[in-house]
Amino acid sequence: MTPVLDVARLGVAFATDRGPLRAVDDVSFALAPGRTMALVGESGCGKSATALAIMGLLPASARVSGNIRLLEGQAVRGRDVAMVFQEPMTSLNPAFTAGEQVAEVLRLHAGLDARAAMDRAIEWLARVRIPDAARRARQYPHQLSGGMRQRVMIALALACRPKLLIADEPTTALDVTVQAQILALLDELKRETGTAVLLITHDLGLVHDHADEVAVMYAGRIAEQAPVERLFARPEHPYTVGLLGAAPTIEGGRTRLASIAGTVPDLRAPPPGCRFAPRCPFRIAACAEPPPLFEMGDGHASACWRAPLDQMLAA
Amino acid sequence: MSAILELNGLAKRFPVRDGLGRARGAVHAVDGVTLSVERGEVLAIVGESGCGKSTLGRLALRLLEPDDGAVQFMGEDLGALPPKALRRRRRDMQMIFQDPFASLDPRMTVGDAIAEPLRLHYVVPRGGERQRVGELLERVGLGGDAARRWPHEFSGGQRQRIAIARALVSNPKLVIGDEPVSALDVSVQAQVVNLLAGLIREFGLTFVLISHDLGVVRHIADRVAVMYLGRIIELGATAEVFGNPRHPYTRALLAAVPGNGAATTLLEGDPPSPIALPAGCRFHPRCAFGAEACRTTDTWLEDQAPPIDTLRPGHPGPHFAACLRAAELPPAPVLRARAAGGARLAALQAAFEIDTPSPQPTEVTA
Repeated sequence: MTPVLDVARLGVAFATDRGPLRAVDDVSFALAPGRTMALVGESGCGKSATALAIMGLLPASARVSGNIRLLEGQAVRGRDVAMVFQEPMTSLNPAFTAGEQVAEVLRLHAGLDARAAMDRAIEWLARVRIPDAARRARQYPHQLSGGMRQRVMIALALACRPKLLIADEPTTALDVTVQAQILALLDELKRETGTAVLLITHDLGLVHDHADEVAVMYAGRIAEQAPVERLFARPEHPYTVGLLGAAPTIEGGRTRLASIAGTVPDLRAPPPGCRFAPRCPFRIAACAEPPPLFEMGDGHASACWRAPLDQMLAA
Repeated sequence: MSAILELNGLAKRFPVRDGLGRARGAVHAVDGVTLSVERGEVLAIVGESGCGKSTLGRLALRLLEPDDGAVQFMGEDLGALPPKALRRRRRDMQMIFQDPFASLDPRMTVGDAIAEPLRLHYVVPRGGERQRVGELLERVGLGGDAARRWPHEFSGGQRQRIAIARALVSNPKLVIGDEPVSALDVSVQAQVVNLLAGLIREFGLTFVLISHDLGVVRHIADRVAVMYLGRIIELGATAEVFGNPRHPYTRALLAAVPGNGAATTLLEGDPPSPIALPAGCRFHPRCAFGAEACRTTDTWLEDQAPPIDTLRPGHPGPHFAACLRAAELPPAPVLRARAAGGARLAALQAAFEIDTPSPQPTEVTA
């Protein structure tokens, strides 16, 4: 199948007072129709900059290199590709009602007249389980709860049945019970509409439950990429190993967490070679050279000179 | 064990005003909480935003005045203490806040910020200050030369280490952490969680952890209190509450934590407004197990719900749930372990346990 999204050797650099900052460096991946791919990593790893580059939303000062192909180059952003942001309060317009904002998308991209667009908007608000949708459609964003605002954002994004939905930390600002509702809703709508989803998150739990494939990003590069079960069962990059051990889980006991020493590097002056090397307990002399993404079979790739990591256990 | 902190029927209401400034009802932030914290334990208060957990923490330190109820700290009624005596008492109770960018004064060097509680409370003679500050900085993993630097020179994780050093410098008997690691990225969060767990053991601290992150709570708390709309609805040993939750809300909360497969039963809707609380059990409009009686009977942790399990060896107390039907609920679903990596992953992670700023690379013969 032709991918919905094909990113090849993407680079994003920002000019700063203290020299250029390469937020994304040589990132490549493809996303097939109907699949969910997660970009996971900590603050500053380049996952959001990747999403903004795909949407063409980076500021003019950003230098973008590489190639992004959306739907074979036929995509209309907003109709075929939509985005849900982390903070619904700043991405909804406070001066228009929830219904008007969803209806606007339908008028612009589906060619509906004002009345038909509003009717369809109310249908969509009901579909994202906003109770009493007709009344809520007449309310302004500040009159809605955080969970409801994010539902409006999702209705807005999905109203034109996009081929690709980019969700950038869609539930990070929400409570865990509301987060579960929103993600269940996204999964359901994805099955119904066949939309491919690029899920950007820092939460490995979300990745585990909602993604088909994962790319783990570190300091602007992809460290490891794999089908989701494979990543959790057999991680092949030391950063993934550390991250899995550092995230506290509710079924774990009162054990010490595996902590990754140090902090993420300053991207204005990244370490030469492997960017994780200064924090890596497995580093060797070869790590002074930047590792390529090594294919490990079954769609699994790791940017580590020491992969497969099993050799570490033999000692 | 003896209680170091006792909260008795605490209530705090914040008035809600209309456009003309007239009082129109109140937010019932904390609405009748009775709880005791034992010396040397780590008690977690968990719940979603707006449940009243942060307000409860501030009431416990008398940073807010309660509308009802009383706080006993080390046997004294905090509410009855005159200002001077209260200030003296503050040496023994400290707080760590969520946002390390807001909680440190940008115009004070790190050393001065940490020494401030020492000066206020005459903990050590002036000449001993530098040494004491240096010791603490070392202990939180920053090194003594950090004292001469300014907060803006440090990352979020390092600032939270500074905030921890400042909270511990006066040798407090009780520390309350209000989401102390929530603002941190996961790899840095793990460092600070491990540091806190180590300090709690080393100093024999009594620690109240206010958090919405059930994973963090599972890793450091001895006991857990679950709050919903201003009340504690379940209380018990951490392993008990997580392994055998007896309140339908606790079950829904645990089921919603991602990472254990898509949740089976989802909680519908948002929590009701704390301005107009539902009659009867506060959770009944969203509860899957609700009975007729739940609509009318206001459930309280203390009088209506008997302990589910009585004291068992190895558990620091009984298990309470404020649910009329607690005894009739079906067994709680077992939490499935997410990590499928097994022994291989555990062995690889063991290499990360070295908690030094620059770990020695492991020499391995391939």
